[in-house]
Amino acid sequence: MQQYLLTILILLPAVGALAVGLHGSAPYARAQHYRWIALGFSALTFAVSLLLLGAPVGLGAGGTFHFVQDLPWVESVGAHYHLGVDGISLWLVLLTTLLVPVSILSSWTAIEKRELAFYASMLVMESAMIGVFVSLDLLLFYLFFEASLVPMFFLIGVWGGDRKLYAAIKFFIYTAVGSLLMLAGIIALWYAFGTFDYAQILAALQADPHRLTAEWAFWLFLAFAFAFSIKIPLFPLHTWLPDAHTEAPTAGSVILAGVLLKMGTYGLLRFNFALFPEQARNFAPLFVVLAVIGIIYGALVAMVQPDVKRLVAYSSVSHMGFVVLGMFSFTEWGMQGALYQMLNHGVSTGALFLLVGMIYERRHTRQIADFGGLSKPMPLFATLFVFTALSSVGLPLLNGFVGEFLIMFGTWNTGFVYLFWVGERAFHLNTWVVTMLAATGVIWAAVYMLWMLQRVLFGRVTNEKNRRLADLNWREIGLLLPLLALMVFMGAYPRPFLERSRASIEQVRARVVAGETQGVFSAAAQESK
Amino acid sequence: MNLSFAIPLSAPDVNFRLLLPELILSVTGVVVMLVDAFTGRSQRRATATLSLAGLAATAWATLWLWPSAQGADTRAWGGMIVLDPMRLSFTLVFLIVAALTVLISAIWVEWEGLPAGEFHTLLLFATVGMMLMASGNDLVMIFLGLEILSIATYVMAGFRKNDLRSNESSLKYFILGSFSSAFLLYGIALVYGATAHEVSAQPQASGALAQHVILAGTTNISAIAERVNDGLYPPLLFAGAAMLMIGFGFKIASAPFHVWTPDVYEGAPTPVTAFMAAGPKAAGFAAFMRVFLLAFPFVAASGQMRSTGAQLHDAWLGALWILAVLTMTVGNVVALVQTNVKRMLAYSSIAHAGYALVGFVAAGAADSAHQTDAVAAVVFYLLAYAVMNLGAFAVVTLIARSGDRRTDIEDYRGIGFDSPALSLTLSLFLLSLLGVPLTAGFMGKVMVFSQALGEGYKWLVVIGVLNTAISVYYYLGLIVVMFFRERTTEWRAPRIPTTLAVVLVLTVAGVIYLGLFPGRVINAFRAVQPIAVSSLR
Repeated sequence: MQQYLLTILILLPAVGALAVGLHGSAPYARAQHYRWIALGFSALTFAVSLLLLGAPVGLGAGGTFHFVQDLPWVESVGAHYHLGVDGISLWLVLLTTLLVPVSILSSWTAIEKRELAFYASMLVMESAMIGVFVSLDLLLFYLFFEASLVPMFFLIGVWGGDRKLYAAIKFFIYTAVGSLLMLAGIIALWYAFGTFDYAQILAALQADPHRLTAEWAFWLFLAFAFAFSIKIPLFPLHTWLPDAHTEAPTAGSVILAGVLLKMGTYGLLRFNFALFPEQARNFAPLFVVLAVIGIIYGALVAMVQPDVKRLVAYSSVSHMGFVVLGMFSFTEWGMQGALYQMLNHGVSTGALFLLVGMIYERRHTRQIADFGGLSKPMPLFATLFVFTALSSVGLPLLNGFVGEFLIMFGTWNTGFVYLFWVGERAFHLNTWVVTMLAATGVIWAAVYMLWMLQRVLFGRVTNEKNRRLADLNWREIGLLLPLLALMVFMGAYPRPFLERSRASIEQVRARVVAGETQGVFSAAAQESK
Repeated sequence: MNLSFAIPLSAPDVNFRLLLPELILSVTGVVVMLVDAFTGRSQRRATATLSLAGLAATAWATLWLWPSAQGADTRAWGGMIVLDPMRLSFTLVFLIVAALTVLISAIWVEWEGLPAGEFHTLLLFATVGMMLMASGNDLVMIFLGLEILSIATYVMAGFRKNDLRSNESSLKYFILGSFSSAFLLYGIALVYGATAHEVSAQPQASGALAQHVILAGTTNISAIAERVNDGLYPPLLFAGAAMLMIGFGFKIASAPFHVWTPDVYEGAPTPVTAFMAAGPKAAGFAAFMRVFLLAFPFVAASGQMRSTGAQLHDAWLGALWILAVLTMTVGNVVALVQTNVKRMLAYSSIAHAGYALVGFVAAGAADSAHQTDAVAAVVFYLLAYAVMNLGAFAVVTLIARSGDRRTDIEDYRGIGFDSPALSLTLSLFLLSLLGVPLTAGFMGKVMVFSQALGEGYKWLVVIGVLNTAISVYYYLGLIVVMFFRERTTEWRAPRIPTTLAVVLVLTVAGVIYLGLFPGRVINAFRAVQPIAVSSLR
């Protein structure tokens, strides 16, 4: 049973999609049936995924993955059907299985055309996303990574907003180009190691770090990092994100922000850090600077958005910048914080998109200028919106605070000096400077969020159409509740989360900081001592 | 100097077993023609069934020959015919293409009221031509196969006699095809001349000068390989190889010899286009690869100098590299701006020839141990391409209706949710052509690119990957038009006829099977390396 658990998790939503499709050909099929089938299957998937928590605490200790299944797949090229979870992927799988039923529930009345295709796409999407996080074979990983692209493309393109075509194509081309380069990297790895199996490649690299020449590792790191940076998205590769997020239907935005972006940061941790540690060290200054630019730029651009959804989209750029910053601090706090912030962002930004979707469904506009004083007709909505926004901003005792604090604490404590060479001149960048700059991002976040709240929720009702808006109904409250509960729980008691991921994070960290004998990074580190 | 043309005259070693697939199919072709002649026009079912049965029997014969492709008994007919896995795997690809074409054309023949028997006969003979191209171990044999194929295809392209576009297509194909055949033939002649051979004969009597005897050239592929280094006129060999490359380049529609492709593909009836894009292209590759890999291999010299063989090998490999890059890039970039689906698929077929050429380059650079793998990768790629492309054209045929009226991209607007079966299968084929994982196209690209990387062609792979990125736009564009746009013209979802449903089921299953479990197929294809058969020793 143990070894089939992950396969069952991947297959359950796919079977659900099939069930939706088959039901569609039944003569008594009604549009309302599909959402129930989809909800049933995704809820079941969530319930099954909770079994993953049954693994021993400190999951992934000693380099072991749990719930491993390993079958030969394409024997001629040495590809395996190899699945497993460790403390990192465990949480991302759970985040996925939680967000999918929530977003299906949020589409209950919002999706009014082609329901069959919509719910089938959502379920196919879920299969692919779970597959991405549990694959331990590079070819299998790539397969799921790309497969998740197609349903999202349809979600944006068919059920999206006014500029859905532009957004869908831009999204697809950006991500497909990145992942094609990663494919070239994967094939090159196959040539070096004769297998696609992640565990085998990692073992070979641990046995002999010079198995890959520095030049090859350099290019391979870039190929992988490029694909993941687009997905994260790291400044300046982020331009697809505001369009895709804004034009996607609510459920699509939730999944996009909640899960798809995490594939990028997860990929960096799993592949770039573990397979090319030396290059990860060497490239750290670049990534740190881009992350800080992303934090500040995202926040500033979010501030001036006239569209609520676009504002939330740009806030994602800022938040994901924090995640990258934490990862490249190479400290336990920073990396744990990065993982925690991935989950926080999924929960908080997911909830924000849901809330924005709810007023959009009522008013069919998202322009801040069209609202004002919504707290009078919709007090419950206003309360939850403020709550979620504060969690996103990082109010202590709510989840965002824990993640951002850990990240900044970790970055400060790195104590490294990043060296930049511009021609012959070397520029120093101390990590405390980096931390200070990132911290301003938190302040900007408070500014754009609270300002938006003020303009949307408070003051006088300026638009007559807003006077009679109905407050949230039970379905809407119900779908927000799990997320709100998580915000409080994760903010107040992060231990169960961090405890389970520690061993796995530590293992990745050990790969990166081990053998710090060459490279700019370590030279800089010694200089700073 | 005593000039003597010492052509060894010997009785041909007749071996019908070796030619069994070709024989069965030729007989079937004749039978179909006779049935058609004596039963009148209402027999399209009968001729189609007969053709399919013949193709199935041929496939059986091919599979029956498979084990012996690894044995010793692989030469016959004076070294003209070879039996090796490369020939047999290509033969299977051709048979699959032909069988699917028969099924796709069934509905079209009915709509247009065309003489089905003639069409089936031509198709079968074209297939025989392709098979001979793959099995020929002699430039003359390959040329004969190519002409059998070409003449049948010229007629098929112009099969809709009353349609100007079809006529134009046929004429263009005929003129440019003959042109390329001339190049090929000239190349054969030059190679024949270049391989003329000087041997020193024993002096007749003591005291006499050693005499030199000039032997005539050869068109046998393995004999050419043996003489590459000591032919009498090395420059002629280069010129001959260049001519051959141009001739084959025309046939596989590689840039810059591709200009005929879009017009011909657009004008020809859709089922014929489907056939032309998959079959003759693969046949061109079969002959192209056999000639260049086996007749002009890397042959090191014994002395200090770089041998003619090595120089020739470098030269054609370099030229092929450029050809691959040009073909991929031109195909993909021009496909971006097409407004007609058939034209777009034509340019996409040029691009795919480019990807296959990447594998060919790898095969050319590989040593004999890796050459098998690279050749198998190319065959796999062409098989994958044939399956997905025929599937796509099957849908296009149905949507185009009689007279190929609806082939503009605009005609596909918003049909997605009204004919989900058609549009979803077409989307699957387009995604496979694009190379999205889970599909045959993806596995094909992985195989071909990994072979090229293995031989160190980093930049070729990078260019290939960038080209794939370009192609995202136009493949996706059609999906976008089908699903995301609103319909503007009147559209009634067509009923899917049984034959076409069979084609769609088979191709969808093929695309997914090859995409998920390519292992068995690729293993069968690379059983043994291509064998050069010599008859002149």
